[in-house]
Amino acid sequence: MLRSRPITILSFVVLIALAATMVVPLWSVAATAFSTKFGSLQPGVILWPNPWSLEGFDTLFRRLNFLLPFANTFYVTVVGTIAHVLLSALGGYVLVHEELPGRRIIAGIILLTLTIPSQVILVPLFVVFKQFQLLNTLLSLIVSELVSAFSILLMKTYFEQVPKTMIESARMDGAGHFKLLKDFYFPLALPGVVTVAAFQIVHKYNLFIEPLLFIRDPQKVTLQIALQSVILGESSTSTNDFIAPNVTMAAIVLALIPLLIFYPFMQRYLVRGLTLGGVKE
Amino acid sequence: MLAQIQRHWFLYVLIAPIIAYFCAFLFYPMGQGVFLSFQKAGLLGPVGFIGWENYQKVFSTPMVWQTIWNTLILSAGITFFGVLLPIVPAIALAEVFPDWVKRGLQTIIYTPYLFSWVIIIGIWSNTLSPIGLVNSLLVQSGLIEQPITFFASPVWARPMVIGLTVWKDIGFHALIYLAALLSLNPDVLEAADIDGANGWQKIKDIVIPHLMPMIKVVFLITLLGSLRTFDSAFLMLNGRTADQIRTLAIFTYERGILNFDLGVASAAGVVLLAVSLIIAGIARLILREREA
Repeated sequence: MLRSRPITILSFVVLIALAATMVVPLWSVAATAFSTKFGSLQPGVILWPNPWSLEGFDTLFRRLNFLLPFANTFYVTVVGTIAHVLLSALGGYVLVHEELPGRRIIAGIILLTLTIPSQVILVPLFVVFKQFQLLNTLLSLIVSELVSAFSILLMKTYFEQVPKTMIESARMDGAGHFKLLKDFYFPLALPGVVTVAAFQIVHKYNLFIEPLLFIRDPQKVTLQIALQSVILGESSTSTNDFIAPNVTMAAIVLALIPLLIFYPFMQRYLVRGLTLGGVKE
Repeated sequence: MLAQIQRHWFLYVLIAPIIAYFCAFLFYPMGQGVFLSFQKAGLLGPVGFIGWENYQKVFSTPMVWQTIWNTLILSAGITFFGVLLPIVPAIALAEVFPDWVKRGLQTIIYTPYLFSWVIIIGIWSNTLSPIGLVNSLLVQSGLIEQPITFFASPVWARPMVIGLTVWKDIGFHALIYLAALLSLNPDVLEAADIDGANGWQKIKDIVIPHLMPMIKVVFLITLLGSLRTFDSAFLMLNGRTADQIRTLAIFTYERGILNFDLGVASAAGVVLLAVSLIIAGIARLILREREA
């Protein structure tokens, strides 16, 4: 682009250095995860399993019951994402009707929600979830961000690109709202739908504040909370319950696997969504 | 008008659950927060109106001023570096070739944006541990004698929160800038070539001005996001770092949920909302002024 040799060389240097800050720590995490307990406690840098072992994973599943948080998170992510996508699509569909009286008021209410970040209302959120008897339920995690202004606006932007004439003629043929959504908007605006879903999957998978706030029951523990207790448990001093680095790193590897499988398929949508989102805001 | 409403009545039915949701789980809690901030908190809930007493308590607690100060410093650091640094990889991504290398690098630097804070802290606590990679290199090269305890030092606490936040978001912001760079008209660069401009001059006089509108957008997103810093600082909070990185959002959590002092915590929450709205308002005004 700039046709300058020094800048091109510098570009490679900068990007490779930056990429190294992401790849090397991850590599070291994986190498530690596949080491024995004793090996992972040795001083020095572990860049290769020392010696190779699955001890960390074994401890994780047998002693710490790590399957449960995965199952809970899976449930919340799947149900939460489906509900979120459907409701956001509904919102986007309604806003697409420019002739709808009161549309600007509805859009105004939706935009207003952007000014109330959940981190600011943590305490009242706890109180309200308690009033609705949602504390200690996985449902609370599905309900938080059940629908969001960001997703509604993203859906609307994509729905607007569906040709009006096509919708008009389908309506002439007697297609109702749900048929229009199901057979026209959804398939024709599929990239938008997938984008919203991809962001929501990542969001639900990474939920941290909400379960911290709402869930005490150890049977309902979710992945990030379980991960946090393993990572912080590393400094635990009681000798018989000592969690060595190989266990901690094994937990991180396990938590990363679903994300890394999912990422290559969704990357296009995640990137498109963020540039669109960036422009919108 | 009435005919329009009648024709579209079902659309109102469709949007109703969404509006109801926002009312029940955003506006109502917000209202509850304001309400509770004027109530005396009892063990089983609010027990009566006490006026501004909770706010007086909030402002007479030295820790609150400390948390406001921490929030502002962290926010300033995250915004400054988080807005400016990603310009470098964005320009670099536009320069590298062939396409698969570009795409590969892009994928790698964007990845941390998808990681939760728990995972980020987990990864770096390994690499930055006293016997980890960074300390080993620094000690061996003779730059330091004692390993640095990055996660348990008052000096490093703020740089760690700022640095890791910037690192996590750098790919995300770089891709936003890159998208803007792709809309740069090649003719302009060619004209500069003919005028004999070198690469640095082109960056300074063409690329950066072209990115300016996007820089403003990223500035606003980053500023608003950083004022609500919770996860990152919360996970790095310990006895040695608490005074440096306890943010106002964390204070409301500790007071309200752990100590169950709902009145004071809600008042602090309202203060946090006010502070972020004021700062966002000022930022918007300044940006608009510049444009005019």
